[in-house]
Amino acid sequence: MEIATLFDFALDTVIFVVGVTAVLASLGVILCSSPIYSALYLIGHMICLALLFLLYNAEFLAVVQIIVYAGAVMILFLFIIALLGGKKEVQENTFHRAMAFGFVFILLGELYLSATVGPTQQIRGEIPAELFGTAKAIGLELFSKHIVAFELASGLLLVAAVGVICLAKFSFVPLRRRAR
Amino acid sequence: MDGITEILNETWKFIVLFLNDNIPLIVGSVKAVVIAVAIMSVVPLLVWLERRLMGRFQVRLGPNRVGPFGLGQPLADTVKLLFKESIVQSSADKFLFHLAPAIVVFTAIVGFAVIPFGAPFEVFGQTIEMWGANVNSGILFVFAISGMGIYGMVLAGLASNNKYSLMGGLRSSAQMISYELTLGLSALSIIVLTGSLNLVDMVKAQETIPFILVQPLAFLLFYIAGVAETNRAPFDLPEAEQELVAGFHTEYTGMKFAMFFMGEYINMVTMSALVTLLFLGGWNAYGLPVWPIVAFALKVGFLLCVFIWLRSTFPRIRYDRLMTFGWKVLLPLCLLNLLITGIWKVI
Repeated sequence: MEIATLFDFALDTVIFVVGVTAVLASLGVILCSSPIYSALYLIGHMICLALLFLLYNAEFLAVVQIIVYAGAVMILFLFIIALLGGKKEVQENTFHRAMAFGFVFILLGELYLSATVGPTQQIRGEIPAELFGTAKAIGLELFSKHIVAFELASGLLLVAAVGVICLAKFSFVPLRRRAR
Repeated sequence: MDGITEILNETWKFIVLFLNDNIPLIVGSVKAVVIAVAIMSVVPLLVWLERRLMGRFQVRLGPNRVGPFGLGQPLADTVKLLFKESIVQSSADKFLFHLAPAIVVFTAIVGFAVIPFGAPFEVFGQTIEMWGANVNSGILFVFAISGMGIYGMVLAGLASNNKYSLMGGLRSSAQMISYELTLGLSALSIIVLTGSLNLVDMVKAQETIPFILVQPLAFLLFYIAGVAETNRAPFDLPEAEQELVAGFHTEYTGMKFAMFFMGEYINMVTMSALVTLLFLGGWNAYGLPVWPIVAFALKVGFLLCVFIWLRSTFPRIRYDRLMTFGWKVLLPLCLLNLLITGIWKVI
């Protein structure tokens, strides 16, 4: 066997394994009864996604995926679970079971659809090959073509943050400060 | 018989061909092993250094009985910890209880993989680069991995089924998220100056003067946030002895207990290395007649001593003060510094 083809084969295998792990982890999120383990499966899923980005040379995206989702968002999830006390849920509701079966059928239908639509294609832009996946390429793209949408989205996030602070903080009179 | 020899010959040829074609792979593997072993064997030395220095700072002797200068002490401690009984209380979540220290050590070692510690040189026609991996967004990688390290502490707190552990885990997650902002923003001013996320490029940009002279405020903020990020005194709230027994590692014994300390000390080394790379000029010796790697090691060693110095000098600050300090003092200062740097860069 040629060495080049061997490497391609190895790369494909790694991508396949990581992808399957991602799918299994996401199944774990919805099938696990303990909230802590659900959150952990979600973290595992996100790390797998980051690995997939990395395997397709999107280095910056992979790192940002880990920092933002696995590092910041999920730690808050765990924080909340720790504060509320992660109790295992008891499964008894038949309505939920019916919903689950419906979900499985929808999933199968979607699989059928994606199988009939055909293989996905790579998006080809005018980014030079040596810049692909770097912070520079993403910055150039975001701050030239999509600057309006980008700024609008950041404004939206700011509004959400201010709203949350208003809801949480200013409804009661602050306590008198303790003596220093 | 002939068939077997032929197969063996073919396999041997294939192996030789493979090795010849993949010298970078072999060099990379060797480097990975060397870096991992080196960083793990630095830990006992660092513990010894800390105990000796702390002794001097507190006007006592420190460990001096085992071997010359007490150098046998870390060895004795390691053997003791290895042979201690490992206790897992019955109410703990067994899997997470075992997973947590592994996460701490794993992320600490992986974080060091992208730290460059010397200029590249040539051996046998091969350019050997003195870093585990030259990742394009190297500094972001370090932050991402150190962010994953928080999970070790939170999970240790969650799995132990102990109030003090839980409090320690919660404190560590809140503290590290808050101070990561300061850490990232003060590093961002250096990124703005160099225009690159690559740690090697950052060192190359400091060949004439180190960035500590250009960005003294960013250096100070980064170092303070770095101390908080590694959970060292005066920011060691997650394991505050007076309030929380030992915080998130209250229930741990033996080697698993030692693994948390290993993670902490490796994180200390990584943080010192990062400060050296970003602000002190990395392996640039600035005229001193030493090898680049020695210059780097000296700078990192000095910063580690400052870590220990801080621990024996400052009292632990109160938890609400810690949060106020992080969000209302450090973060605005960081943003101001970044703004000034940005304006200066554009003009």
